[in-house]
Amino acid sequence: MEKAVLGLFTYVDELIDAAKKLRGSGFEITIFSPIPINHELEHEFGEKPNYTKYLTFLGAIGGFVFGLVLTLGTAAMYVLPRGGRSIWPVTPTLLMAYETTILLAVVFSLIGFGLFARLPNFKKKIYDPEITVDSFCILIEDPRGRQREVENLLKEYGANEVKTLDE
Amino acid sequence: MANHMKNDIAWAPAGEPNVDGDLSHIPYQEVNNDVLRTMTETSRLYWVGLIMSVLGVGVFWFLPWGYQIYSGQGVTGLNTPAFWGIYLTNFVFWIGISHSGTLLSAILFITKTPWRRTIYRSAEAMTFFSVLTAAVFIFVHMGRPWNFYWTMPYPNQRQLWLNFQSPLMFDVFAISTYATSSMIFLYFGSIPDLAAVRDRITGWRKPIYKLLALGWRGTEAEWHWLHKSYTFFAVFIIPLAVSVHSIVSWDFALSKVPGLNKTIFAPYFVVGAIYSGSAAIVTLMIVLRKVLNLKKYITLHHFDKLGMLLLCMSLLWSYINVMELFTGWYANTSAENETLIYRMFDGPWASMFWIMIFTNTLMPLLYIFKKCRTTIFITLIVSLGVNVGMWIERYIILTTSLPRKFLPFMWHDYSPSWVEISMTIGSFCFFVMLFFLFVKLWPSMSIYEIKEDIGVPMKKGH
Repeated sequence: MEKAVLGLFTYVDELIDAAKKLRGSGFEITIFSPIPINHELEHEFGEKPNYTKYLTFLGAIGGFVFGLVLTLGTAAMYVLPRGGRSIWPVTPTLLMAYETTILLAVVFSLIGFGLFARLPNFKKKIYDPEITVDSFCILIEDPRGRQREVENLLKEYGANEVKTLDE
Repeated sequence: MANHMKNDIAWAPAGEPNVDGDLSHIPYQEVNNDVLRTMTETSRLYWVGLIMSVLGVGVFWFLPWGYQIYSGQGVTGLNTPAFWGIYLTNFVFWIGISHSGTLLSAILFITKTPWRRTIYRSAEAMTFFSVLTAAVFIFVHMGRPWNFYWTMPYPNQRQLWLNFQSPLMFDVFAISTYATSSMIFLYFGSIPDLAAVRDRITGWRKPIYKLLALGWRGTEAEWHWLHKSYTFFAVFIIPLAVSVHSIVSWDFALSKVPGLNKTIFAPYFVVGAIYSGSAAIVTLMIVLRKVLNLKKYITLHHFDKLGMLLLCMSLLWSYINVMELFTGWYANTSAENETLIYRMFDGPWASMFWIMIFTNTLMPLLYIFKKCRTTIFITLIVSLGVNVGMWIERYIILTTSLPRKFLPFMWHDYSPSWVEISMTIGSFCFFVMLFFLFVKLWPSMSIYEIKEDIGVPMKKGH
């Protein structure tokens, strides 16, 4: 059975060069890092889309509607007459809706993160604990019969360690 | 393992004060080691502190609270017309303390301010713990805490429903939203660090961190979505924080009581909250820096910046105080005049008022001098002074207004009973206890963001 290849790098520019080469050769790669290097990666590979904004927007709208329904519905179902004032007061209703807008927008942003980052995920996956310390890695899960070539390429581009691993 | 940074650069020995806030000399590995050390190495002093604070919570808070529940609210100093006393003072004080942590963290994140990175995690935890402490005071003030669910909207057969036109209901929703969002903000930003802890920790704690880290591996996609969602959190939490303390101010300002019904109360409370919260961050950072030996990370540069922020907030707070007096004097109504004179020149309130002016307006002027901002002892004294002053401010607002309403036959001076004073002390023990637990169970500094501060390792340079 063919094994996955994991290359551990010290320097981000070397990692990006190797990633460019591997992607150019048609390999599917996953990049790991101990810190966010999205700026560097997007500079090289182009900006990634941001779908969470749609969920956040949905949460905000949903929260606003929920706030309105809760306050106006309550006022309609349990009428509290107060000296000629409106049963449906504008200011407190908008205030409540403001709070629920933010609450659901935050909750939906969290859901968006989980959905798109595919977390939580407790299945055993290829990983190296050095990633959370100081190693920047490239993982090629399917070397497509060119395992040796991939290993050599990673070493050539500056990987200080190359591991072959089972899923 | 990557050793380049260890070999290439001579870094300061542990505990060496780093004046300019430059962390680039620290290897990545050392950041992991230092943060994990704070979670795994426990000194005798820590245990003494934790046990003392737990005992303090039990003796000073829960015993008197049990006594109050058993005997009724009559054991407090609350009586007609002074229905709002030290419990609500503490509530407003702790909500105020909660303000700066998350708010400051969010503002500094959006503006990409580098000195945020070492201090924000503890500041966010401070927010969450102080919201919890404040929330408990609502239950204490309620008198019958087992009926707390009456504040929640739920269908019932008695045709009772909530009155959403009451500022107290605004409070319930605003504070619940703030507590939930602050908790999410704290947890969410910690996920990569919880994974770092998971990878190193052993024993019974490992499965817990495995669960908390959600299976984080540090992939390109995970970082991407984390950054995008975290930015949204930061954006939403800033107006939320402002709305929460505005709403807390309306608990008072929407009444017709002299001394409370002021249009300036919302910005006054927001400024006061940021002021007291920032002072609490300074105090907390000094303690963490000393106790956890984090001088390398929490540098004099941080205190310099925080000192400038405190000076700015002090000037704003003082301006609003002067305006409060000016508008009261200009309106020249007898009830307003009476409240102001009572507050400034009468009995024990006068001495408290002038202590407040000393600690919150005069003492922070020392921060004009860089020497004072970067001298830890002076910074500690000033930050503690500000918090004492801010507690007094809330106490004076509540205890010189309701007890001094329009007609003299209704006047009644308020003085707290031993039960109320004890629970006030207990609340501080509760907060300290939560923090003691936090530093052992949670990475108190952001590992990955400190590494960002150190820099991205490039062979060919940037």
